[in-house]
Formats: sequence, C-alpha cells, structure tokens
Amino acid sequence: MKPLMRLVMTFAVVLAVAVSAHAETTLEKVSRTGVLTIGTRTGSPPFAFINKQNEWVGFSIDLVEQAIAPVLSRKIGQPIKVEKKESAHATRIPLLTSNAVDLIAETMTDTRPRRESVDFSLTFFVTGAQFLVKKGSPIKSIKGIAGKRVAAQQGSTNARIVRETVPKAILREFPDQPAAFQALAQGQVDTYTNDGIQLAGLKAKAPNPNEWQIVGDFYSYEPYGMAMRKNESDFRHLVNVGLMEAIESGKYFELYDKWFGPKGNSKPGLLPVWLLPKASRLAPLF
Amino acid sequence: MSYTFDWSVLWTGQSGHWLLQGLLTTLNISALAWTLAAALGIVSGALRTVAFKPLAALAAFYVEFFRNVPLLVWMFFWYFAVPPMLPRPVQDWLYVHGVEFLAGMFALGIYHGARFSETIRSGIQSIPKTQFEAALSTGLTTAQTYRLVIVPIALRLIIPPATNESLNLLKNSSVALTISVAELTFQTRQIEAYTAKAFEALTAGTLIYLVLCLTIAAIMARVERRVAIPGMIARVSPAEH
Repeated sequence: MKPLMRLVMTFAVVLAVAVSAHAETTLEKVSRTGVLTIGTRTGSPPFAFINKQNEWVGFSIDLVEQAIAPVLSRKIGQPIKVEKKESAHATRIPLLTSNAVDLIAETMTDTRPRRESVDFSLTFFVTGAQFLVKKGSPIKSIKGIAGKRVAAQQGSTNARIVRETVPKAILREFPDQPAAFQALAQGQVDTYTNDGIQLAGLKAKAPNPNEWQIVGDFYSYEPYGMAMRKNESDFRHLVNVGLMEAIESGKYFELYDKWFGPKGNSKPGLLPVWLLPKASRLAPLF
Repeated sequence: MSYTFDWSVLWTGQSGHWLLQGLLTTLNISALAWTLAAALGIVSGALRTVAFKPLAALAAFYVEFFRNVPLLVWMFFWYFAVPPMLPRPVQDWLYVHGVEFLAGMFALGIYHGARFSETIRSGIQSIPKTQFEAALSTGLTTAQTYRLVIVPIALRLIIPPATNESLNLLKNSSVALTISVAELTFQTRQIEAYTAKAFEALTAGTLIYLVLCLTIAAIMARVERRVAIPGMIARVSPAEH
C-alpha cells in the first residue's frame, strides 16, 4: 500500500501546485504575455466565420479587436495581440475555466445557468430564434413543427426551448451550423432553427439565397454577451468600457453597418435595451 | 481555478434519464455495428489469405479503402452522400425512420470491419501451413478447411487484439454525434447545455465508458479462457485480467 500512497500524495501535490499556478488573474496574464486569447467560431456568420479569402472575421471578432483590445492595451500600457481559438457550445465554458482562452466572443447567449459558471459582459446584440426553411415549406412558425424533423445546434438555447415546448417535434442536433444546413439542404430535416440573425447570415452565404426563407416570430429571447472567468471584475470592467466607448465614439455603429447594414450580408436584428437611446443613429438601416 | 464543482447536476432534473438513454443508444449502435464489423472482418480477413487472386484483391481493396479514410469522413459519407443516391421513396422512408442511426451504424460497422479484417488475417497467417495441409489431406475442401479448422483456431488466437478493436468500436461510436445520433457523449453535452457544468457531465460520461469497457474486457477474458483448446496455444501462464 505504501508505494500507492506515495503516488497519491505526489499526485495531490502536483495538483495543488497546478491549481495555485492558475491563481494569476486574466489581466495579469494578458500583461505578462501581451496576448488576449479569445474563443470564437468558424461557422457563425456574420459574428465569427471564415470568409472566402480564408480570413477569420466577423462582428464579434471586430468588437474585440477594435473596441476591447485598445482599452486593454491602454490599461496595461503595452500593445496586445488578439489570438483566436475555435470554441463550440460544449467547449466554451471549459475553455474559459481551464485558462485556454480569456474571453468568449461569438454568439453566446447570456443565460442564468451559464452565469453560475462564467461572467458576462454587457449585452452587445439581441436576437431571437426563428426557422429557416426551403421556399414553399408548410412550416410557418413554431406552431407548425410538431411531427416535423427540426435541426438545431447541439447545446443551444433554441434546442432546449423546442424540446420543452413542442415535444412532438423530432429534434436533430448537430455540432455546427454547416452540418445542420447541409442536412436541411438535402432534406434529412424539414427546417433548421437558430437565432434569426444567424439564419440571416447563413442564408446570405448560401449558394442560392433566394431558395431559402426565414419564418416565424422570435420564439425566444437571445441576448448575446461576451463570457469570461468568474469574479474578475477588473477585467470585466475593461471589456465593458471597450464596448461602451465603441458605442459612444460611433465605432460600434460603424461595425454594425459593416456586418448588418446594406453593404453587409445580413439584415439587422433587435438592439440591446441599453443601446436604445443611441438607436436614432441606426435609423437609415431600418 | 475559479470553478465550483456541483455534482448534484448529475442526479437532479433529467440528467439521469438522458445518461441512461445515451447509454442505451451507445450500446445499441455499437452492438449492431460490431455484428456487421465481425461478419465483414471474418469474411474479408479469410478471403485475403486464399490463393484465388481476384477475391484476395477485392478483400484487400475493401480493407485499404475503408481503414485509410477517417471515421468522421465515413460518418458524413453515409449520412450526407448515400441517401441522395437512393430512389426518392427509399430516401423519404429513411428520413422518417432514423437515417442518422443507420448511417452511423454502417459507418462504424464497415470502418471497423476493415480493421477487424486485418486482425483476423494475422490470426490466420499465424497458423502453421502444416495445419492447413493436414486438414486438406483428411479430405476436406478448401472452404471446409477454412470454416471448420482455420477460422475457428484463428478466432481463438485473436481474442486479445479483437477485444482491443471492440473497445475502440464502442468508444468510436461517439463520433456519431456529429450526425446527430443522441448517444452517450451527446447526452453528456446535453447536460452541459442545460446546467453549464461541463466537467461534471464529462466525468460522468468518462466513468460510464470506463465501466462499459472494463466489463467488455472482463467478458472477453472469460471467453478466451472458456474456448481455449488445451495444448493448442503455448502460454507462459494462464490468461488473466
């Protein structure tokens, strides 16, 4: 038994050292390494995706690079680099808690269960779930999906709502947007449900956008926030300052126009409530 | 680490129900795929050792083609590429009757069949040539020699590597979640989605896979001892686990 006990003790010590090494705050980490690592997506246009030129771009990524990173680098007094890593529904919280990334900047809905594990920034976008169907489909809204095959993203808030409110719908969950869309395009499923703004992005990027239709009223409320490790109010404050300064300077609206405006590739969604006083600036877009 | 563990998410709400459903789906798809893989593996593994060249070449083609393409690609192939090739009524029937489960099963079974095949071939090739000749000299045909002598001995010889392969198959069934099969790993992600407690959910999944695999390994070890032909295979000590 003795060698075993020694092994267990060694393991415990190694673990304790590892845990104490993690005690560094995000801000300390960023100023030590000069790098802010974000978790984002490759297939969620227009928030975060790989474009035709093979660049990893999007609204959420621009917000980090052009609004949040400058505030951080001003605070720590040195330029910082933004590094991107792929995150998915199932991995984004572990990515944060394991220190692999410092900030999740994609299309993450701010929910109460998630708030028990991570902290969220101010809401930077609001949308709701709808349905993407082939033109002429009998599905018009969430009322018409009972008995139909409905694709959704694994672990998304919409999948959960469909399961709970329309148990008769045949839910098929895919790990990412391209697989779900492929299943819809081939007829394995009858419709694909996701946040309206993402469906709009997907439709715009489809080979033949006119074949597709986004139907139904919003059946959920999806406020997007950027997620970070819990209980680091200094870092969260800087992220929020970045977002707020972008609103005040007009940078946010410039980016909004770039991704959702007439020249962008998606129709605008709703705005976060706290943004409403500034909404007059968006008038030409609506 | 700024993470607070909350293990109660595993037994509150629907978590237990989901894990059980996932476990059943995993066992179901693995058992069916294993049967397919074993059948394909035995036939193609035996064919690779026969003297008739076209059959051996066909078996070699099957093995090399299916084992050298990633399983994930096969999943997408069977789910996205195969159904559109079928006649419309068959497609419609499939889409209503769980096409993802069938596609996952075929992908898993055919891929692992190719890997089983190599295991069986190595078993057959480890049998001395004299055994084969002795069987033929008693008046058995080549087919009978394979069926009654060579394959039964080979199957006994390959139990350890076949166990390995079977465990791989069981664990690889998790790849089917990419085509929306709600198996065990899928369900652990589901718990994560509802509770935002990823580590707890993954730990539960890990433990279930571990218990499943250990059980299978134990059963196979028992089978190995049970079917051993006394004096046939030299052993340093009795097989144990």
